[in-house]
Amino acid sequence: MRTISVKESERSVVRFLAAFVLACPALVLAQAGPSYEDILAGFEDPERWLTYSGDYSGKRHSPLTQITRENVDRLRPVWTFQTGTTTRGRGFETTPLVDDGVLYVTGSNNYAWAIDAHSGRSFWQYRRNLPNDLTYGASAPVNRGFGMLGNRLFMVTLDAHLLAFDRRTGEVLWDIELADYQIGYAATLAPLVLDDKVIVGISGGEYATRGFIDAYDPESGERLWRFNTIPGPGEPGSETWPDDPEVLARGGGGTWMNGSFDPELNLVYWGVGNPNPDYFGDQRPGDNLYSNSLVALDADSGELRWHYQFTPHDLNDWDSNHMPVLAEIDWQGEPRQVVMVGNRNGFFYVLDRVSGELLLGTPFTGTTWAREIGADGRPIILNDGSQGCLPDPWGSTNFMPPSFYPELDLFILTARETCATFVPEPPANQPGVANFGGVVYIDGEQGSGALRALDVHTGELVWEFTYPSPTFGGVMTTASGLVFAGDHEGNFMAFDVETGENLWHYQTGSRIWGAAAMTFMLDGQQLVLIPSGTTLTAFALEPLD
Amino acid sequence: MSIPKMPLVALSAPDLRSARRSTVFSSLCLRIVAGLFLSLLANLGLQAQESNPLAGNARAEYAGGVLFRAQCATCHGADAAGIESIDAPDLTRMWRERDYSDQQVFQIIRDGISGTIMPPHDFTETEVWMLVSFLRSIGQSGVQDLPVADADAGAQLFAQQCVECHRAAGTGGVLGPSLNAVLMENSLPEIIAAVRQPDALIRSGYRAVEVETSNGSVAGVLKNEDAFSFQIIDTRQQLRAFRKAEARLTRLEGSLMPAFSESQLGDDELIAILNFIQQANAANQ
Repeated sequence: MRTISVKESERSVVRFLAAFVLACPALVLAQAGPSYEDILAGFEDPERWLTYSGDYSGKRHSPLTQITRENVDRLRPVWTFQTGTTTRGRGFETTPLVDDGVLYVTGSNNYAWAIDAHSGRSFWQYRRNLPNDLTYGASAPVNRGFGMLGNRLFMVTLDAHLLAFDRRTGEVLWDIELADYQIGYAATLAPLVLDDKVIVGISGGEYATRGFIDAYDPESGERLWRFNTIPGPGEPGSETWPDDPEVLARGGGGTWMNGSFDPELNLVYWGVGNPNPDYFGDQRPGDNLYSNSLVALDADSGELRWHYQFTPHDLNDWDSNHMPVLAEIDWQGEPRQVVMVGNRNGFFYVLDRVSGELLLGTPFTGTTWAREIGADGRPIILNDGSQGCLPDPWGSTNFMPPSFYPELDLFILTARETCATFVPEPPANQPGVANFGGVVYIDGEQGSGALRALDVHTGELVWEFTYPSPTFGGVMTTASGLVFAGDHEGNFMAFDVETGENLWHYQTGSRIWGAAAMTFMLDGQQLVLIPSGTTLTAFALEPLD
Repeated sequence: MSIPKMPLVALSAPDLRSARRSTVFSSLCLRIVAGLFLSLLANLGLQAQESNPLAGNARAEYAGGVLFRAQCATCHGADAAGIESIDAPDLTRMWRERDYSDQQVFQIIRDGISGTIMPPHDFTETEVWMLVSFLRSIGQSGVQDLPVADADAGAQLFAQQCVECHRAAGTGGVLGPSLNAVLMENSLPEIIAAVRQPDALIRSGYRAVEVETSNGSVAGVLKNEDAFSFQIIDTRQQLRAFRKAEARLTRLEGSLMPAFSESQLGDDELIAILNFIQQANAANQ
C-alpha cells in the first residue's frame, strides 16, 4: 500500500479546515438526509429512491426515460457487488435505497452495506450476530431492504428485532425486540417510514404465532401502536374463530411483506398471511379473520378502517402478503382511488381503497380452485383439491413486487402455474416448532411461469411472456415503455410494455428470487440495479462510439 | 495424544524460517505441557461439562496459548487480534462484542462455522477447553474500576471537545469512531494514550486523507479504496466517493484528531468524560 508523506504545514491546514467546517453547525445540519417530504415526493428527484417501491404507492413505476425500447439493447453491466453471504433455497430479495450517490443495501443473514453507486465499492458493512437457534428466520434468512429517514436507516432482523442505524457509519443507534424469535417469529421486510413513525410487520405464520403490524418512533424506538392481525377473545373478528383463546393466540396471520401508504387518506395498506396451522383447518373452523386479508389501518392509531379477505379459511398457505398497489384509475366513467392486488390464490383484485368495496376479482392463472367471486365478495369454490391439483403453497404469484403502468392501465405481475396436492395432518402446535399441519406434494412436471400484463378494468390478459418454470422475480416499469423482470433461470430482462416483446436479457448466473429492479439517475446516466444470488449488479447504456 | 496436522502458511522466507522454528518449538512445548496436563486431568477423571472445567486455571491458559499459536494463529494471528484481509475476526474482542459463553466458543472450535473458512477441529475436549481458557485470558476486559468523577462535568467537556467528531450518549459526529464501547474495548492507559497521541495508532477506517479535485480539495477519513476509486467520509461528515482518474488521493500522516496535551484536557477531565459515557451507557441498558 502506498503512503504519501505530507509536510506538517499542509497537514495543519487540513486540520484547520476540518476544525473550521466542523465548527459551523449549519453546515452539518444541512446534511440531515432525506425528510418525510422527500419520501412523499417519490420519484420527483430522479437521483433518489427512498422507499421500497420508490414511492408510497407501490406501483414501482419510475418516470425515467433515458433507457428506451429503442436503446435498451445497449444495456450493459457497470459493476457487480458480491455480498459473500448466501441464502440457500431463497433469494437476494432486497431493494436498494439511494441518496446522494450512495446505495443502502440489506442482504441475507442480516448483512447490510453502504455502497458507492459509481463504483460498487462499499463504505461500510454491517453483520448482525444472530443466535444459532433461529426459528422461521433460519428457513428464510432474507431481507427486503432498509427504510430511511434523515441520517437514519431502519432494518428488521431474523431474530425479530428492529434496528436503527447511522447511515454514514452503519453504527446501530437502537435495537428493539419486536417479538420472541424462539417461539417462531422473524422479520424480513423493508420498514415503511412515514413522517414520525417506522411501520413494520412480522414473519412466522408457519409457527404457532400471532401476527401484528407495529409502528415505532424513529428517534427512540418506542412502540406507538400495534395492530394484532388475529383478534383477541371477544374482539371484532373473533366470531370467525372457535371460542378458544389458545387457538387465537397462535392463529398465524403474518405480515411479512411491505405495505403501501395513502398520505391523503392517512391509511396504511398491508397484506396478512395464512392462518396457523397452514393446511389443517379442523381446529380453526370459520373464516379466520384477518388472515389472508388486506387491511387498511389508520396511520396514527393503527385502528382498522376496513378489511377484505381474499381466501376465507385458507387451507393452502396462500398468504396475502403482497405489495398493495395504489392508483387512481377510471372506473366505469368515474375516477376512482383503488388498491390492486395480484393474489397467491390466483385472482387479481381491484378494490376501492377509501371504502374497501370490491370492484373486480378475476383469475389470472388457470386455477380450478375458483373461477369467480360471488356477489357476497367470497370466492365460489369449485375445487377444494378433490377435483385435481391446486396452486402450490408458493402460490399463483407471491410477494415479488408487481408493477402498474398508469399510461396503459396495465397491472404487470409474475404468474406461477403449479399443481399441488395437500394432505392435512393434525399438527403439534408447539412453540418454536414449524406447524404446517400436513404435507404437500408438488407435481414439478406441470409447473411453468409467465410475466403477465392485465387490463385493470377487466382483469383480462393483454399479453404474456412465458418462462419454463414457476418464477419468483419481481417487476419494475419505466415511463419509456419498458418492463424489467427476472426469472428463475437467472435472466434479467426488458420487455416492451405494449406488446410484451422481449427486447433485452442478461444472464445473472442465479435465479432472481423475490427481488425487483430499481432505477435512478447518477451523473446524468440512468442506472438499473437487480439483486441475484449473491450479487447486486448495476446496468447502464453502453456509450455510442 | 495426537496433534492435528497444521496447514502450511504462505509466508516470506525469513518469516517462514522463524515460523518453522517456532512451530517446532511450539509443538514440542505443546506435547510436553499438554501431555503432563492431560495425564493430570485423566487422574482426576475429568468429564465434558457445560461450563469450562479449566476456568481460571493458569496452566490451562498457558497450554491453550501454545496450542493456539500452533493451530489457530495462521488465520487469527499470533496475538489473536485477527487478520482483516481474510476476514478472520479479532478474538480478543469477541467476548465483548458477541457476548459468547464458554460453551458457545467450545462448540465453534469443535464444529467450525458452517459456510465460512472456520473449519471443525478434531481436538480433544480438554484441548478445546484449554483454548477457551487461553482466549478468555486474552479477552479485552476494557476499563476496570474507572475512578469516580463528575459525570455532569464530563458531559459538558464531551460537548465542548469531542461531540463534533465522536458519538456517545446518542449524540455526536461520525468522523471519528463512536465512543459508546470505548470503555469495553480499551484499558484506561490505552484511552489516555489515544487522546494524548492520536497519531500513534489509527484504527482501520479512520486513515486521514486529502482529496484534490478540479473543484478544490476535501479532507476526510478513508473508508475503502480500489485501483480506480476510493470512498471517504469528508469533514462535513458526508459519504463521498471519487474516481481516481478525476481526484488525487493523499494519505496524511497521523490522525485528523488533534492531540490533547494535559494542559488542554487533564487526566481528571478525561476521566470525567469517561464517567459521563459510562453513565449514559448504563442509562441506556
